[in-house]
Amino acid sequence: MKTEKSIITQSFKNALRTLYTIAPMLLAVIGLVGLFQTYITPQMIHSFFTGSTLYDTLIGTITGAISVGQPFISYIIGGELNDQGISLYAITAFILSFVTLGLVQLPLEYSLFGMRFTLVRNLLSFLFSILVSLVTVYTLEVVI
Amino acid sequence: MTIKGKQKSIGHIMLLIVISLYLLAAFLNPTSAYSALISSLSVLKTVLPILLVVLFLMTFINSYIQPKKISQYLGQKSGLKGWLIAIISGVFSHGPGYVWYPMLSDLRAHGVKDSLIIAFFYARSIKVPWLPMMAGYFGITFTVILSFYILAAAVIQGMIAEKLMLTK
Repeated sequence: MKTEKSIITQSFKNALRTLYTIAPMLLAVIGLVGLFQTYITPQMIHSFFTGSTLYDTLIGTITGAISVGQPFISYIIGGELNDQGISLYAITAFILSFVTLGLVQLPLEYSLFGMRFTLVRNLLSFLFSILVSLVTVYTLEVVI
Repeated sequence: MTIKGKQKSIGHIMLLIVISLYLLAAFLNPTSAYSALISSLSVLKTVLPILLVVLFLMTFINSYIQPKKISQYLGQKSGLKGWLIAIISGVFSHGPGYVWYPMLSDLRAHGVKDSLIIAFFYARSIKVPWLPMMAGYFGITFTVILSFYILAAAVIQGMIAEKLMLTK
């Protein structure tokens, strides 16, 4: 019978092996994050918005998906967009897709979970970024 | 080729592409390329401690939690308990989503439902430490309403995904 120590050692080795296997992909994703943070600036994101609520909500979702960084960055950019009169629908969609979608992490997600899972999860997250932003702002307008 | 071997070779190709992009960026504008590299190193510094937590959790799960227990709590017949575990752990999980991928993929191999993993991912959009900042920018009412809809959306997405995944 295996001792507790040997089970833990084996589990630790297996966990290390898994992390070692995904290390090149993880480093690639982190490298892409740096490139995106440098080349996709808040000014560039702002230039995509037009003032049309529906179109901007869609743009908010797409720009959120290609942006990367800590969640608070999306609040700062969202706050700036709000000051410049961009609709709250678009800003909410941007904030949501910023954390739920990620163009740079797609290859890693695909390699670990497969095509079907990645496609279903990302499509649902995309649609729900729009839906949740619509119901949130609608509810807010009713409440206030 | 094994799944791990395939993952490794896709990873190497991706890493090679990213290195090429950096070389191209350095050729076109060395200052921007250097700034991107510094950003990446800063992300790596943030991610490393979280990876240690993930390594610890993976070791713990594989050592002490039997696959039978995992499927009881997060498998096909987990019910309400499974949804609650997925959502609460999603809300309180820290760091970038991709850091959690290896552990979730491991759990999936142990029988955790795809729908619960999808719910976990969406619930992660509630960032507890950043909620005061969100409230500061957009108001408490907005923050409460958005958080409520995110939790509802996490469950609905999980349910839709379950139907979609079953109809292979």
